[in-house]
Formats: sequence, C-alpha cells, structure tokens
Amino acid sequence: MFNQKTFAVMKRELREKLLSKTFLLMTFLIPVFMFGGLALQTFVMSYSGNGDTFLSIVSETPKITNELQKEFSDKPFVKKGKFVISYLTMNKETFKKFLNQSRQDLISEKLTAVIYVPESALKDKKVEYYSKNPNNNSLFEKIRGSINTALIDVYFGNKYFSSDDIRFAREGVDFNSFRVSKQKEIEKEGYGNMVVSFLLTFLLYFSLLFLGTMMMRSVVAEKTNRIVEVLLSSVSSNELMSGKIIGTAITGLVQMAIWLLPLVAVVSTSWFALPEKFTISMNGWQILYFLLNFLIGLVTFLGLFASVGAIFDNDQDAQSGLWPVMLLIMIPFFIAISLVSNPGSPIGKITSLIPFFSLMVMPARMSLVDVSLLEILGSLFINLATMILIFMFAGKIYRVGILRTGKKPSWSEVVKWLKYKY
Amino acid sequence: MLTRVIKCGAQIPFELKFGKLIVTDTGTLRNMLRQFSKDFVLNNDIHFYINLIWIYMFALEVKNLSKSFGNLKAVDNASFEVPEGSIFGLIGRNGAGKTTTIRMMMNIYMPDSGEVVLRGATMGQEFKDHVGYLPEERGLYKKMKVMETLLYFAELKGKTGKEIVERAEDYLERFELLDRKTSKIEDLSKGNQQKIQFITTILHDPDFIILDEPFSGLDPINTNLLKNIIIEKKTEGKVIIFSTHLMDFAERMCDYIAMIDEGKIILNGSLKDIKSKYGQRNVSLTHEGDISFLNSQPFIEKIEDFGNSTGIRVKEASQTQDLLKLLIDHNVKIKKFDANDISLYEIFLELAGSEEEHHKELSHV
Repeated sequence: MFNQKTFAVMKRELREKLLSKTFLLMTFLIPVFMFGGLALQTFVMSYSGNGDTFLSIVSETPKITNELQKEFSDKPFVKKGKFVISYLTMNKETFKKFLNQSRQDLISEKLTAVIYVPESALKDKKVEYYSKNPNNNSLFEKIRGSINTALIDVYFGNKYFSSDDIRFAREGVDFNSFRVSKQKEIEKEGYGNMVVSFLLTFLLYFSLLFLGTMMMRSVVAEKTNRIVEVLLSSVSSNELMSGKIIGTAITGLVQMAIWLLPLVAVVSTSWFALPEKFTISMNGWQILYFLLNFLIGLVTFLGLFASVGAIFDNDQDAQSGLWPVMLLIMIPFFIAISLVSNPGSPIGKITSLIPFFSLMVMPARMSLVDVSLLEILGSLFINLATMILIFMFAGKIYRVGILRTGKKPSWSEVVKWLKYKY
Repeated sequence: MLTRVIKCGAQIPFELKFGKLIVTDTGTLRNMLRQFSKDFVLNNDIHFYINLIWIYMFALEVKNLSKSFGNLKAVDNASFEVPEGSIFGLIGRNGAGKTTTIRMMMNIYMPDSGEVVLRGATMGQEFKDHVGYLPEERGLYKKMKVMETLLYFAELKGKTGKEIVERAEDYLERFELLDRKTSKIEDLSKGNQQKIQFITTILHDPDFIILDEPFSGLDPINTNLLKNIIIEKKTEGKVIIFSTHLMDFAERMCDYIAMIDEGKIILNGSLKDIKSKYGQRNVSLTHEGDISFLNSQPFIEKIEDFGNSTGIRVKEASQTQDLLKLLIDHNVKIKKFDANDISLYEIFLELAGSEEEHHKELSHV
C-alpha cells in the first residue's frame, strides 16, 4: 500500500497543507478561540452592564429589613457602589401601591428591580422579584446567598441558637473528591481532569471535522479540476487515496501535538504549579494513547470524508451529503461531553467500546475515571479494525466515484458501487 | 499472424533495443530472422549473449475486453493490436466506448473480462510508468507552480533528479515558458496551461503516449504543437495511441486504426490495407460541371457529395474505367479522378450506418 508513489502524493499533501497559511492560522487561532469562547461566555454571564444596579428591597417586617441591610452592607459590590440598594418595610397593600409607583422607573431601567421579601419567606424562602428582565441569573447568583443568610439569621435568631450554630446551618455541603485507582495512591481530585476531558473531546471533535472537511474539499476539487484522471494514469486510486489520507493525517497529528504541548508541560514538569483545585492526574501514556487514538480516528474519518468527496462533484452537494458522517462525529461528541457530569455512566462504558463512538468517548472517560487496561486494548482493537474496514470500503467508493461526474448519484447507487468491479 | 519475434542477444549487429525495433510486416520479420540466424551461425560465440529480450511485433494487444456499467455495455468484446512504433487511432462516434477502452488499457478501469497484453505479458500497474496519458478531460493543480507541477507528475512516474529538472527546463524553453517556471498555474493563460499539460505527458520520456480526443478544446497553435510532438515521438520509435471522432485527422496521421461503434470493434488493421480493401470499387472525384446524369447509370451503386469531392461507388471494380469514359464523353471537367480511393469517413458510414444524428457528430472536414 505504501510505496514511492503514495509517498509522492503524501509529500504534495503535506506541502500543501502543513506549510499553508491556513494551517498556521488554525493551529494558533483554535486555542485562542476556544479559551476566548470560554472567557467570553463567563464574561457575558457575569457582565451586569455599564451602569450600576439599583435595587429596592422591600420587606414585610422591619426585622428582615434590618438583617438584609446588615448582610448586604458588608458585600464588596455594595461597598464599591456597584449596587445601590434602598431598604424599605411595607405590608402587602402598601407594597402594591409602591410597585405601581415604581413601574415607570422599572421600565425606564432607572430601577433595576424591586424585590419583595414577605414574612412568609421565613417559612418557604420564597421572595418576589419584579424587573424588566425577570431572568437575570447573574444577579440572582449575587444576591441569593445574602438574602438566604438574612432569612436564616432572622429565623434562628428568634430561637436562641448560638451564632456558631447558625453559621453551621448556613453552610452547604462541600465535596472534596478523591480518586481511587488500582495503581496509584488515593489522590485528591480537582476540576483539572474535567477541564482536560472537555478540552480533549473538543479538540478531537474540532480536528476531525476540520481536517475531514479539508480532505473532502480537496477530493471534490481534484474531480472538478479534472486532474484526477491525469493522476490515475500514474497512480492507482488506492495509492492516491492512501497518500492523501496519510499526508492529511500527519498534518493533523502535528497540529494535535502542538495543541497538547501545554498539557504535556503541565503534566510532566513542575514549572506550572496548578492550584490544588485544578490538579490533572494524567500521565505520559495517556497522552500517547490519546495521540494514537486520534491518529486512528483521523484515518478512519478521512477515509469517510474522502469517499463523500468522491461521490459528489461540487462542494454544496458534498456538504449536504455529509450528514451520515456528521452524525458519527456529533453523537459521540455529545456523549463524551456529557460524561463530565457522570463519568461512570453505563452509556459511557458501552459506547466507549462501539466503533466510531469509542474514538471520542474512550479518551474522555480515561481522563475522568480509571479504565481497565483490557477495555483500553479492546477499544484500540475495535478502532483499528473499524479503520481497516472503512479504508477498504472507502477505497471502493472512492475508486468508482472519482471518475464519475454529472448526475448526483442516489445512495442506492452508491451501495451498488461497492459491488462494481473497477 | 506471427506476433512473437525472437529471443536474442542485444549486441547482435541489429543493435536491438527494447522498444526501438520496428517490425511492421512479416516480410521484414522474415528477413531479420534470416540475417540473425546467419550471424548466429557465423559468430557462434558465447559473448554475443548478453541480454535475453523478448521482441514483439505488437507493443500492445487488446484481447476480448468487455466492460458494463449497470445495464449499459460500454465495451463489448473488443480486440485489436497496436504495432510497435506506430501511430494508432481508435475511431468512433462520441459515446462509442473509446474512453472506456482507453481507461481499461491504462488500468484505470478493470475490465469485466478480457485482458491487455503489453509486449507479451499481461499488463499491470507498472505500465503506468511507461505511458504518458492525456485524457480528454484534463486539468492541473491551479495553486501549484509550473516547475513544481512538472516535477510532481514526473515523480508520480517514478522519475526524479537533476536529469528531469534539466529536461523540464528544456521543454519550457522550447514552448517559450521558461520565464514562467515559478508562476502559479492559475496565472497562466489557458493555452499555456495546455502546453504545461503536454509537457507533463511526455516529460518522463514514455514508450507509449496515449491521447484521448487530444484536439478537443485546443487552439490552432497548440493543435499544431501537439501534432509536431506526435510526429517527433513517432520518429523516436514511440507508440502513439489516440482516440478521436475526427475521421479526417485520423486518416492523415494514423498507420493503424480500430473503429469502434456501440462498444464493438467493427474494423481494425493497417490504414493502407483497409483503404485498399474498401476502396476497390470507389472513386474520389473532383470536378466542374453537372454529373447528375450518373444517377441513371445502372453500374453506379452510390454517389455521395462531400463538398470538395464526390465519392462514387461502381458495382464492380473494372467499371471505374467505364465511369471515366462516361465523364469525358459528357464533357465534365475532371480535376482529380482517384480510383481505388475511399475516405475513412465513407468506410465508417458503410460499416456503422448513417443516421442523421450521427452525421452531425462526425466531422469529415
């Protein structure tokens, strides 16, 4: 399969892809986008606008009003003047009138919100929030804790508990996670592995999609440029496809290795002291496995993308014919992402041993929980076998497809191609 | 016909070299054998046997090739031979099966049945290194530079190194493109792109040059250029095979032809033999004056007006003299009277029929 001609095709692919501006741009921009995207999301979530927030907190009883005032006045956002809060005490009837008066201010956003804390909140902790924007989660996050504390203080303050008792009651439960595995000592688990799992899955997803589309475009271009028949007078379709796939796979591997460099540096050196919360429990073998798994996945999917490219003779048709391949990437991606919330789920366990799914689910699982060596080898074997099968299958479709132009073939025709003697 | 010639030592007086020996008929072959056996007897010495080489009269033999696409039988049991050192034309209408046949000869398609024999052995992928192929639908990588393109295609044929670079530069100079060697293909004019395409076809010095409808889409300058390349390669002893629907062109260039219609080979052999076989009762006439009186003559089988000339077929070969006499008697001014001459187009019509739509497709300038 690999000979001098495949090598020549591979070299051309490398020259075209690895040394292209697009490659450099993508390699350095993707991490920027990724972290930028995360940062942007966090920013948008926490951004409360240019102006300050004006709140009217109305309580039914002066006791609650006092507690709220005491609680809020300590908060930094109040001290800095970001939040301007007025505290009022009213019964329900007066509050209704007050709300009517404030309506204009709320609509013109002179007043961000009116919060009504009825006495019944001491039983059911239900408070009312009136605003032009009633689903302001970032604001809720900021004030929920303080209101809760104030209510707890009022509630227990009547019942002769010590302030320590009250402090204890106010606290939520905090999980300190420890990872238990066969080989290692019990380690304290942080968010680090979750972040790594998410990043790896995302990189895998993105890389397969990006390189696959690139591959498909290049096959379609060779068809529309009419260059493919000239090429086939020198190389066999198998040599051509292998050369293209190997060239693109190497490009992808180099790109992935560049992206993983920071992770390798964090894991293998002590240059970066991560806070305990973000400890990453990965080793060199896992990274190596990830790269190998990526390579296998890449070759598998490049074969699929190449055959989709060969079936159609323009980019638009090819894009619309891509959905079966897209499903094979998207579904495993979502499963892998959802593993973060429950790494031990049986779905994760099963799909990490199913062809195509395994490529994305297994690395995500491995970075979150301990996976037995047998399972790892099993998934490796399954993926390799899938790759070989896909290569044979894609080779056939590719061989028939690249010389066909004109009418868009139906899926049933494509299935017939598999039986053709070409 | 004898196809396998001889097994011999390469240093015998003929200076036989693989692919250079041109034997087109059995007479030449017999003479050569006689000469060879004489030398063999005279110089019965061990040092004459250096290499064992098989020499074939036929460079390529196409044997019973068939290929179907679904229900469509594109090529149906096609057989023909391409002699060494010849220009061979595969002739037929559009859609007759020429491209499919050529693709099978190139090992781009696998035949459903049949085989292609290259100098005695079943052809495999290695044939691709010895052939320069110019498909009807051709193209180059638009973003690649001229020199890169040439070297890449040579590398795909297994040729690299200084020699290829020099040869590429020679060709570029000859085609007045040397100053464009670092330009991108997309920056060249269409005509210049075609020139680059020709160079990629012949740069690796192939023994076989296969051209599928080579003149479609070429401007007059490049048509001439390609004709010159074909003739030059023939004098170098290369085998040139092309497919065309242009009968007139095939007639002027080919030594051998095969006619294909609806996937079947309906005629094949040397152009000379074919024309003499089909031309015995035919006269090609160029004249001035009215010849409509010929229509009533019982010995005339068919009259066909080709514009510049008229093709007339008599019922028996001896009647061409009667025809000449009749024309003179009727005071027709004869500019050319060519007995035993028939155009390839006429032969084709005779064999493949002459439906109206086919007329339009066929060009017979």
